[in-house]
Amino acid sequence: MLSVAMRKVSLLTIALLAVATSLTACGGSGASNTISLNNASCGGTWTLAKPGWHTFDLYNANSVGGEVDLIDPKTGGIYAEIDQLGPGTTQTMSLDVGSGRYAFRCLFEDTDPLTGRTVTVPGHVKGFAATVPVTYNDLLGPDKEYQAYVAAGLTTLVGQTGTLDSDLQRGNLAAACRDWLTAHLTYETLGAAYDAFGSFDDEIDGRADALGVTNPKWTGFYRIEYGLWHGQPASELTPYANELAADVRSLQAAWPTMEIPLIDIGLRTHEIMENALEFQLTGHDDYGSGTTLATVLANIQGTRELLSLLHPLLVSRYPGLPAVYTWLDRLQVLVEAQHQPDGTWVPVSQLPVSASQAIDAACGQVLEELAPIASIAEPRNA
Amino acid sequence: MAEADEHPGRRSFLRGIAGGVAGGVVAGGAAGYALHRPQPDAALATDTASLDGRLAAVPFHGRYQAGITPPTQRATAVISFDATTDGKSELIDLFQTVTSRARFLTAGGTPPPVGIDGPPSDSGVLGPTVVPDGLTVTFGVGSTLFDDRYGLASQLPERLTPMQPFPNDNLDPAQTGGDLILQLSAGNADTVVHALRDIAKHTRGGMQVNWRIDGFTSPARPAGTVPRNLMGFMDGIANPPLSKARELLWVQPGTAGEPAWTADGSYFVVRLIRMFVEFWDRVDVFEQQQMIGRDRATGCPLDATTIFATPDFPADPTGAVIPLNAHIRLANPRTPQTADSRILRRGYNYDRGIDQVGDLDQGLIFTCFQQDVKRQFEAVQTRLIGEPLVDYISPFGGGYFLALPGVRDTADWYGRALLT
Repeated sequence: MLSVAMRKVSLLTIALLAVATSLTACGGSGASNTISLNNASCGGTWTLAKPGWHTFDLYNANSVGGEVDLIDPKTGGIYAEIDQLGPGTTQTMSLDVGSGRYAFRCLFEDTDPLTGRTVTVPGHVKGFAATVPVTYNDLLGPDKEYQAYVAAGLTTLVGQTGTLDSDLQRGNLAAACRDWLTAHLTYETLGAAYDAFGSFDDEIDGRADALGVTNPKWTGFYRIEYGLWHGQPASELTPYANELAADVRSLQAAWPTMEIPLIDIGLRTHEIMENALEFQLTGHDDYGSGTTLATVLANIQGTRELLSLLHPLLVSRYPGLPAVYTWLDRLQVLVEAQHQPDGTWVPVSQLPVSASQAIDAACGQVLEELAPIASIAEPRNA
Repeated sequence: MAEADEHPGRRSFLRGIAGGVAGGVVAGGAAGYALHRPQPDAALATDTASLDGRLAAVPFHGRYQAGITPPTQRATAVISFDATTDGKSELIDLFQTVTSRARFLTAGGTPPPVGIDGPPSDSGVLGPTVVPDGLTVTFGVGSTLFDDRYGLASQLPERLTPMQPFPNDNLDPAQTGGDLILQLSAGNADTVVHALRDIAKHTRGGMQVNWRIDGFTSPARPAGTVPRNLMGFMDGIANPPLSKARELLWVQPGTAGEPAWTADGSYFVVRLIRMFVEFWDRVDVFEQQQMIGRDRATGCPLDATTIFATPDFPADPTGAVIPLNAHIRLANPRTPQTADSRILRRGYNYDRGIDQVGDLDQGLIFTCFQQDVKRQFEAVQTRLIGEPLVDYISPFGGGYFLALPGVRDTADWYGRALLT
């Protein structure tokens, strides 16, 4: 018993030591290059001796946490930011300082923004450029337009899922296969709203993964696809088509009360295609129709919609924007090449290696080009 | 995007041509890796420096690629890619991007911050500062790159073909060949993984992975000997000295039939060889040693008492001590007639899960470098056809490549002589 008790004590000691060590590593306050921030002074009398690489140790001397930005106070451009600096902690900020104006701005919780002194680096030395932040206000318009885009898509979808439902009620499986694809592709153009749809998304477009393909709780497009391409009779699928049409109508009715968070508009610009790569180009979401490449095209269309809404905000902020379109265009051409003259699509599992390599590579490059938009279009304080 | 600002007019479809901020941790050639410091017995080099993950930077620039002649490092990855670039100018862009990433990764330094303009420029796998950790990047081209896509058919190296299958081979097309080959080797696996993530991130649209395999070099056990393979035998003992590099290793200017751009390159053979280790472990050690021709415990030839002793085959004409079909005897008969078929072997062990019956999927990433793949590797492999060892191994993939000439300086790039 004694040895157990002693071991407990020594473990506690180790834990305390570990805390002490991490405080030294992450929360030290004594270093000479530390810049102290509090609710009376954001940076104090800090200075910049010369251009070049600088690392600032920013210490939050306040009793609350907050965001710290290094800004150009004239333009409001942000050179660098620390999203969350906890009270009593220190984080580093590094950048290549060029000629220009620099000031720290503190955005402590429950406190008005506080901008510290402006430090000017004279001359014509090129450094890291400040980006004028996208504000909450800037995103209200795009968000509203996207809401309307989704509303229009849902109106279309109500009609298309109704058609699918009546195909199956009439027992017309050939028409059902055709109309299933039309309706599913409409849904696949609305990718930035899936999270806002909440549980509707699971009901309308859920995967079998957690349930298994024989589980009656599995509903929606993929369930119907599975049945249509696995020889299930119309009578078995009609209840699912009926439920799908009803779910879409319910979603349409609820949509005016739903909101897409402003941050989602930027985030989804790459996340739609991340999902296309993970679930469509891998064939994971092919439940029999072999149309995941058509889904990718619908996903590209949905991504293009977001880009067009954000274009005015991005065009001055993102030098990589032309490359986004270059690669989206290339990916689209490569995918469309797999649309057969008879209207069918080549399943990804049957693509020649060179074709799948070209498509996967282009999609990967699209994602690299899209990724910065989530940061750039994140809503920030002006 | 600072880098885009710096190159406003440049049409570059591959991201991040600008590298990190090299410097800071760049060290000289203290590890003795440079070719001009001959290492007759490379495999004997101490590997203790890798243990703390702080191997010095191996100088990237040079007449030859820096990853060919050093002793094998503790960790490696061999990755085959197919080019997905559209046309020659994009292929140039790809090769320049690989060059700039390799230049940064081998030197180390601090990746540039991006402010609010995007995700971090580096994966962070090595922490805030990229350590060189002895990283070498070896980049090569396969024969398929010289098809009609890039107008390079007339530049095909004279001796570069798809990998020739030998009688005991069981080549899987999905793990064989490729337009490009990349070998990343360093003191630790995290350094290798970091380098692969970085290069792949910057070349997404330009090349796509065909197959890959990770490997390791074991510490020499006992210390001061030679690392062992997964059959328990020391491997790579009898490499030729670097004083023979001109005759055996590098494609020379004016080598018969070779296009001029290949000078200072080296034929790079990769063979992925499964070892049936369970079967092997059920074999009597005497029989194991007869198959190899060396003592398993000590590494000595069966007719000698030191590791690096030259076996005296003429004194054993009937194979009474070292059988005539022992691996070391067939691979390197030590005759004047076979001296020009010697190869520089740089094998790594691999260990990657299990097969369909639950046996361990372990083996050897056999890599070797040479001046002439026909005169050297194929001649050696032809002598080995039917050796008793074939029952315990199965070559299943790999390929023939030409490791490009070295990148000479900051203005140079991989394949410049080929592509311009």
